[in-house]
Amino acid sequence: MNALSTTRTPAATLDHLNGLPPTTPGDQARSPSGRQNHFRIFVLETRAELMKLLRMPGFTLPAFAFPLMFYGLFGITFGRSQQIGPLTMAGYLLATYGAFGVIGANIFSFGVGIATERGQGWMLLKRAMPLPPVIHFLARMVVGMAFSLVILIGLFALGGFAGGIALPLATWVKLATWLTLGGLPFAAFGLALGYLCGPNAAPAVINLIYLPMAFVSGLWLPYEVLPGLFKTLAPWLPAFHLAQPALGILGADTHAPVARSVAYLLAFTAISMVVGIAAYRRDHKTWG
Amino acid sequence: MRKLLMLIAGLAALIAFFLSLPTPPANGAATATSPESAIVIRNVRLFDGVAVHDAMTVVVEGGTIAAIGPAPSDGSGGATRERVVIPDGAEIIDGAGKTLMPGLIDAHTHTWGDALERALLFGVTTEIDMFTDQASAASMRSEQAEGSVHDRADLVSAGTLVTAAGGHGTEYGITIPTLDGPEQAQAFVDARLAEGSDFIKIVYDDAGGHWPTLDTATLRAAIEAAHARNVLAVVHVSTHEAARTAIEHGADGLVHVWSDELGADGLFAMAAEKGVFVIPTLSVTATMAGTPNVTHLDQDPAIAPYLTPAETGALSRVIEGLPVREDRLAIASKATHELATSGVVILAGTDAPNPGTVHGASMHGELSLLVEAGLSPIAALAAATAEPARAFGLDDRGLVAPGLRADLLLVDGDPTRDITRTRHIVGIWKAGRRVERSQGDTALEGRVKAPDTEAFAQFDQDILDAAFGFGWQPTTDERMGGTSTTSLTLVSPGSRDTAGALLVKGAIGPGFPFPWAGAMVFPGEQPMEMVDFSAKREVVFQARGDGGRYRLMLFAESIGQIPASTFFVASETWQEHRINLRELTQDLRGVWGLAFVAGPAQGDYAFEIDGVSIR
Repeated sequence: MNALSTTRTPAATLDHLNGLPPTTPGDQARSPSGRQNHFRIFVLETRAELMKLLRMPGFTLPAFAFPLMFYGLFGITFGRSQQIGPLTMAGYLLATYGAFGVIGANIFSFGVGIATERGQGWMLLKRAMPLPPVIHFLARMVVGMAFSLVILIGLFALGGFAGGIALPLATWVKLATWLTLGGLPFAAFGLALGYLCGPNAAPAVINLIYLPMAFVSGLWLPYEVLPGLFKTLAPWLPAFHLAQPALGILGADTHAPVARSVAYLLAFTAISMVVGIAAYRRDHKTWG
Repeated sequence: MRKLLMLIAGLAALIAFFLSLPTPPANGAATATSPESAIVIRNVRLFDGVAVHDAMTVVVEGGTIAAIGPAPSDGSGGATRERVVIPDGAEIIDGAGKTLMPGLIDAHTHTWGDALERALLFGVTTEIDMFTDQASAASMRSEQAEGSVHDRADLVSAGTLVTAAGGHGTEYGITIPTLDGPEQAQAFVDARLAEGSDFIKIVYDDAGGHWPTLDTATLRAAIEAAHARNVLAVVHVSTHEAARTAIEHGADGLVHVWSDELGADGLFAMAAEKGVFVIPTLSVTATMAGTPNVTHLDQDPAIAPYLTPAETGALSRVIEGLPVREDRLAIASKATHELATSGVVILAGTDAPNPGTVHGASMHGELSLLVEAGLSPIAALAAATAEPARAFGLDDRGLVAPGLRADLLLVDGDPTRDITRTRHIVGIWKAGRRVERSQGDTALEGRVKAPDTEAFAQFDQDILDAAFGFGWQPTTDERMGGTSTTSLTLVSPGSRDTAGALLVKGAIGPGFPFPWAGAMVFPGEQPMEMVDFSAKREVVFQARGDGGRYRLMLFAESIGQIPASTFFVASETWQEHRINLRELTQDLRGVWGLAFVAGPAQGDYAFEIDGVSIR
């Protein structure tokens, strides 16, 4: 609010609309270093991304509503008396729909978001701004995490107040932290997809990866009830490795050690980053 | 600045949300999301509800019994392979020297207060209730249906019983509907079933003309009304004649055995032929015979530590005002034996919490009484597990069999030879979840200790108060139907030239057999709140009055509802009285009231007390 409401010359105001730090000589004199400027850009960019999220309910609402709706159906309606190993169905699916929601939030924000904005020429325009690309992606990341947290809060409220789930405070916090941070590899994956796919193909391609991966990894229905082929495939999929430690936090018997899941996700992030950066460079050559 | 505030508000809301999420209860019960991991009890003697099998391995998964098989010959799984699959990560329990059996089912109880919690701590995983508050039974049933009940026994209840106006069942101060004639029987039974009754219990007992009861036509109509709706009709009787009539008119079961006389003329054969079951309730019969604590549960080191002071007191309590007939237990035991040998199904039930019985612990006493009556230990165990489940149609429990609920009791030793071994509990599981047993005196944790101050009440100020606790209240027998009156007035001067004293004045009237009226004081912050008086020895006070005999009454957990009392004479001049509290009860851990009262002699009374101290 502050940044937009300060009285400035018309030229300075334009700069603000572009999300830039003030460039009047006086302001520059007050900024002791470029690092502080970058932080400011980051804050403004995060705000702008957040505003975009709020003002484009076409993306936000489904990404928020789907995990909640499915969890309500499978976890709450049927899940209170059924047991999956040591967990109630409501408890089990809390972890897996948490993973499902978090993956969706990140993969769509980066994948479909970037592909679409590339198509609109918005990413090209961004390059004309004195905005380091890293900061833009960091801002997207923070917003993705915030959105993940909102989805988790919705799921936790449903599970806790309607699903009969009671956990020590530390367990609630641990689960939220793991899932929120565990969404980041999927942000990297989304980045790669966003630069690899054309703007029109992106939503279809991403759904074709996201939904089957979620199902085979046991996010919709418990891994334990999946057919044998899926059980064999699941340990090769990243979604599986986000869900298993989450289940472990709730006290379930997991099908992969936590260390293996973490290693998998780190490797998955690194590969996605390499591919993503390559695709990003290719994209810039094509358009640049 | 505003941004910062918004950020802080957002963070605060986030923290508040996480703090508001449900957390498991602090008493260590497992959380709702991780209730029961797999349990394997290896190489155990198994009483499955019917028969005994040596060296078995039982696997429990997801709250039910998953598999049962012979244990490997060396007992450890080393030399030969286990014939049941042991799940990964299962808790393995060595069953050598122990016996696993189904959780106990007490077939005759009345569940009030913490009855079901107490029952579970002694291995009783299901209680069949013969009369309780219909509304609380309904809420318990719905909680059980949700599968969320892990800290108390399950309830199966008759709800409101069927009795005549003014008959047995109406004397407890709770207004209940009564049945007037056979033509109303179906509507009456349907109303009970609509309220949620799991079966119908009918009272057919006039206690020798003491109160009215249903006539035989109405009894028959009520039984048939229950049968028309496909539910059991069980009947309360106390004489062999009433038993005969109830069986002849189609009762499915008798909830007591008779104890007036043995009876003959084919009564036992008829009971067997008609296929009724009988719940002898020898525990409460022992009380009626004047020997409430006949099995000495409170002396058994396997039971005593788990009893609360109130339970220890209750085990020795007699029924006030009921004439004792010493041969009742012998007759009831003989009748039980005759029934069993004639082939009648016997079910173990205690009738807790009637005087002399408590929920949970008394079930172990009942088993002993059944064996003393002549049942084999195996027959007694079946009467507490498989038989009641079958009789009441509880087909998910009562046996240790694959697919059934894992309501289990693991005891040390062999109760199929020595029935008292059921008391040596090693583990209790309800629906596969282990029950943590707490020692009886944990009820005392957090109980307030009486302050060290000796001076308790001086009556020298303008207000009627005490050094600690809720303070003074008038007390009379009015709520018991009496007509006695009292008034409390501060007067001056007091004893030994102090400023004031308490004048207690009124009249003792008729209406209640044990009339009283006077001044009561509560040592707890709330009326009836327990205070630990263990460090106190005596009550010392000054009294004067009209020369009459008055009583100091002590109300304590260990004594029960009827207080212990001792007399003092209020002479015309002030006199000091010392009363040793331990003469009133040995267990002073739960004192909740003291009273200075007149009675039982009728007439006007007046006395003053002053300088009350508790040392």
